Amino acid sequence: MPATLLYCACLASAAGLYLLMRGRNGSVRGVGTIIGLGGLAWLLSALLESFGPLAGDVGPLLLPLIFGTIAIASAVRVITHHRPVIAALFFVLVVVATAAMFLSLHAEFMAFALIIVYAGAILITYLFVLMLAQQSPNGDGDEKSSWYDRTPREPAIAILAGFIMLVGLIEAMDDSKNNAIPTPTVAQAQEAAWNDLDRLPRALLAAAQDVKPTTAEVLGPPLVDENGGATIAVRLEDDSETTVKLTADQSPSNTRRVGLSLVADFPVSLEMAGVILLMAMFGAVVLARKQFEYGEDETRAAMQEAADRSNES
Amino acid sequence: MSALLNITPIVTQSLAELGVAADPRVIQLSLVFSALLFVIGLIGFMTRRNMIVMFLCTELMFQAAALAMVTYGRMHMDFSGQVFVIFILTVAAAEAALALGLVVLLYRRRETLNADAWSELGEC
Repeated sequence: MPATLLYCACLASAAGLYLLMRGRNGSVRGVGTIIGLGGLAWLLSALLESFGPLAGDVGPLLLPLIFGTIAIASAVRVITHHRPVIAALFFVLVVVATAAMFLSLHAEFMAFALIIVYAGAILITYLFVLMLAQQSPNGDGDEKSSWYDRTPREPAIAILAGFIMLVGLIEAMDDSKNNAIPTPTVAQAQEAAWNDLDRLPRALLAAAQDVKPTTAEVLGPPLVDENGGATIAVRLEDDSETTVKLTADQSPSNTRRVGLSLVADFPVSLEMAGVILLMAMFGAVVLARKQFEYGEDETRAAMQEAADRSNES
Repeated sequence: MSALLNITPIVTQSLAELGVAADPRVIQLSLVFSALLFVIGLIGFMTRRNMIVMFLCTELMFQAAALAMVTYGRMHMDFSGQVFVIFILTVAAAEAALALGLVVLLYRRRETLNADAWSELGEC
């Protein structure tokens, strides 16, 4: 697959996006939608083609394909819709689709945290502020949005810059050009999982007790065997020592390993995150204090009045 | 871009189903989608005039970054990627609180959400 074809596909989607932004009437926007979706489909099919023959094992690809397309389409609506509230609701759709992609990447905890924090908290704040600052549409009565929501600023230059950015990003992702760290083999991944279990003493003891209920103490780290399981030396309640074989599905879950990585590998960053939240709270309190009884014009008028008065006296 | 696909297949289908190692094709797709999402957020930030929607577009870029982090974490079977997403969520929450407070202040001063109303701040 020559790279130029892929860039042509990107250009087609860019042209569609331009029409979507610029189009004043429905038919131009419809053409833009069709061109944009066609460009996206072209890009994706070229990508899929380069994966080699798809011999019936498209199962793991379906979820990212469907939800990625939903995410891209609703992201385009976020930046093209002329009513900010609807754009914010489309952003919720982007968040949900991204969470579904997280699920297909086995990041279960992050998927649900994303929905709760983003769609549940941050987006509600955005909607609140949008409705707080919603102004009566100026001018013509049946327009439901202000002129600045309907008129994009320099769409051609912005899309050109975005296209250059896309090329840069894709070049940066190219594994063959930068000396990429080799991806771990399956054996290394399993060993890492068992090492993480070793750093969780109570979970390790519980796993051993699942197999042998009379286990009193774990004596050594889990030693990986060839089919993904592990062997640990334990002492039983009657002071005899033996070994316990753990199966592969007793290795710690992804969520547990995220938590371990968070508190064991990044403790200082965790504290910093707390400080950031505290400072944001202080900042929000300071910003929200009522400090503007007068707008700028009123202040200027009041100063003018005071100057006049002092001139008179 | 075709060289983007050079990640060596590291796993047979059965082990991929166990969730032990990643399917390189899923990694590729997620990376491409995250790049597209980031670029759309960038274009939106440059073209929209409404201040709140501009911040919404930065959130789009945050989403794309989070997706790339999780994808690379999955590719290297390293959970630091997901931990970084937790920090992204923290920063996004702090940013939303502060930026929206600022937007409300600016709106009270000029009675418009149009970012061009404040273009004299850019000295041009």
